[in-house]
Amino acid sequence: MKFTVKHVMKQSARIGELSHIKADFGIKMETPLVLLHTQAGHIPHITHEVLKLISKEPQILQIPLVSIHNYYDAIQDYDGRISEFVGSKDTISYITLNDPSNLTRQGHHVKEMVPIFTKNGKVLYDSQKYMAMINNLKPDMYTLLSDGDTNIASSQKRITKSVENTAAFNKQCISYQKKSSNLQDSFVIAPVVGGYCLKSREKFIELILQNDSFVHGYLIDGLHNNGPEVEFIPFNEVELVVKKVIDNLPESKLRVISGCWSPVNIIKLVKCGIDVFDTSYCRILTERSAALTFSINENDLSEAYEINLRHNQYAEDFKPLLLGCQCITCNGYSRGYIHHLLTVQELLGSVLIMIHNVHHILRFFSKIRQSIRDECLVDLENNILDQYNEFQCQKIKNLENENK
Amino acid sequence: MNNIKSPLIFEIIGKCETSKARVGRMTLPHGPVDTPVFMPVGTQGTLKGMLPEQLKAMNLQIMLANTYHLGTRPGPKVLKKAGGLHKFMNWDGNLLTDSGGFQMVSLLKLAEITEEGVKFQSLNEHKNEVMLTPEHSIEIQNAIGADIIMQLDDVVSTTVPDKARIEESVHRTTRWLDRCLQAHQNPDIQSIFPIVQGTLFEDLRRISASEHIKRDVNGFAIGGLSGGESKDDFWKIVNLCTDLLPKNKPVYLMGVGFAVDLVICSALGVDMFDCVFPTRTARFGCALLMNGQINLRKKQYALDFNPIDSDCTCSTCKNYTRAYLHGIVTELPVACHLLTEHNLAFQLRLMKTIRENILNGTFKEFVKKFMEDLYPKKDYPSWITDSLIAVNITL
Ligand SMILES: [Zn+2]
Ligand SMILES: [Zn+2]
Repeated sequence: MKFTVKHVMKQSARIGELSHIKADFGIKMETPLVLLHTQAGHIPHITHEVLKLISKEPQILQIPLVSIHNYYDAIQDYDGRISEFVGSKDTISYITLNDPSNLTRQGHHVKEMVPIFTKNGKVLYDSQKYMAMINNLKPDMYTLLSDGDTNIASSQKRITKSVENTAAFNKQCISYQKKSSNLQDSFVIAPVVGGYCLKSREKFIELILQNDSFVHGYLIDGLHNNGPEVEFIPFNEVELVVKKVIDNLPESKLRVISGCWSPVNIIKLVKCGIDVFDTSYCRILTERSAALTFSINENDLSEAYEINLRHNQYAEDFKPLLLGCQCITCNGYSRGYIHHLLTVQELLGSVLIMIHNVHHILRFFSKIRQSIRDECLVDLENNILDQYNEFQCQKIKNLENENK
Repeated sequence: MNNIKSPLIFEIIGKCETSKARVGRMTLPHGPVDTPVFMPVGTQGTLKGMLPEQLKAMNLQIMLANTYHLGTRPGPKVLKKAGGLHKFMNWDGNLLTDSGGFQMVSLLKLAEITEEGVKFQSLNEHKNEVMLTPEHSIEIQNAIGADIIMQLDDVVSTTVPDKARIEESVHRTTRWLDRCLQAHQNPDIQSIFPIVQGTLFEDLRRISASEHIKRDVNGFAIGGLSGGESKDDFWKIVNLCTDLLPKNKPVYLMGVGFAVDLVICSALGVDMFDCVFPTRTARFGCALLMNGQINLRKKQYALDFNPIDSDCTCSTCKNYTRAYLHGIVTELPVACHLLTEHNLAFQLRLMKTIRENILNGTFKEFVKKFMEDLYPKKDYPSWITDSLIAVNITL
């Protein structure tokens, strides 16, 4: 797989292209793009059969190792690639360590090992065990093992440990990769750690740049511990670190960030030069019964930035989630029906909301790329920000009315 | 001139030479239904996470929804405003609704049956007493708008020994049938099926059937079975009812849907079936096979890279191994969707095979082979051998 930077905007938002992908050599994918966040290879609530109804374009499945650890033995015996194992031969696979939609438990550190928390409890991975699994999975893309357990509150001691561990993993994993015939075509993403300490970030990058020729992209790790809280991280909290890391990385390499970032922050991160995100935010929304309905194009007849289908006001509302949206949910199902499904706890409610949310985010990214090409990303940012602010004001008003 | 188009046209297009099995084609307001047919149950106006788009792709022609549940939530008012359940749930195939009576009696301990209807304590916060009358049941079913609807019947469990009570239920069911027919607002787009009652008493079944066939209706249901009676009793009543009911109308056996029951009751001349089992069992990791079922939760499947069923062409069997499914069953909701898809495909394939064998004149051979696969030691339960002998098939 190959990454080429195509178009750099003044603020350094950029258009890139992924090509020469082993799973399908003919496809080209433009960045900034959004990976489809999955658990064990499935977007939560969405089978691959339904995914084909959402998007006909090639997509990359982000598969957290933590969600497939229970297949460790099966994968050893299995001949095929991970995308085939999870039932979607034709999609591109990308293995990450943790699930960005779930809060990752902190602590439990052991030198040169990383704890992951599976449904059957804690499992320790070192480079050898991790790369043996990756080798059997034969993914199109994967991240090297990392100890990214830092956030804005982390102590210097934790940051130092995280840097030491991850630098060691980087070396060990790359030496494994070099020897593995299974992984010769895999696209390697190296995590960059160092918490919120700019010096540590700088030092870490220095340490790993010697391996740069074996690496195709970098993941800005160690900013948060995943889960729903990421949506509410103020951009200015991460801005300096992100900019520092990007400044110190080679421009020709893919830049990845993971987590449930809000749409406004996604645009801000794109403006910093981030190329790859994931759809874990769609899971967070769907779990709280919310559909994203901010308008992306002029023909979206948006009523609000986001709507919550649990609210009784939708019981007799037979309009689609978003008038103008072309997804299969909006094409055939009403807010009232989805409200009914949620009230009676039927699975299809989450399926329908998720279909729309994923479709909406994919459309949002296509708009981001278009706006970079047209040099009007700021207009998109202001448009989304206005809708978001309006939504917040409305929320406060509603609260006040309730209190009255 | 009567220019009201019938909401149900039933043609018999093939008959088994040996047994009472037959292949029919029902034409309903939302398209054709090939019989014998299995109807999956979408209780709340949805089928276990499956999109109607997927159901269409599987060639599903009709599904069932429950009046009691839909009448409670979202309620007839919302359904009416939505333009009926078809529109509400985006399903343009056919629908059948039950009367709600059975659910009330089985779900609600406090239900009490009087001549007026079924009295029960409401599930809402006020806990007030509510009465479901035949008129009210039809009113809700009119709002739902299913293509086939059921009369409210006086349900008595097959395990109740009190013959006087059962006799009362038979006559009351006929009186309620007349009230249902009277109250029906959409006879040109919805067909009411009477329900033959009488539990395990043949004389009472005769009375019930003879009364109901006097009414101008498009099909009949056999009720009050599948409630814990012995299989030896069960098949005799089914066999009797298909004898008593007119041959030119579809016969629906309520609540029956296990593979072996579908094969036998098709041989006995039943045209329509429904059962929650194939879809409900998917949630617990259970997948159906022609020779039984497997539970994918079991450790033995952890390294099994075969599909659930290599003869099955459903998208689950085409794309997934048992090993993969083993790792996600009861963990991820998608596992339930994937198994539901297979189990539904299984039921539809079984019915299609039954129909094809009847049309090809090979039904007898098919039944024998099916039972042999199911009981390789030929230790057939007596009800299977007896019921098949009754329709001239000897195992
Ligand atoms: Zn939509
Ligand atoms: Zn199958």
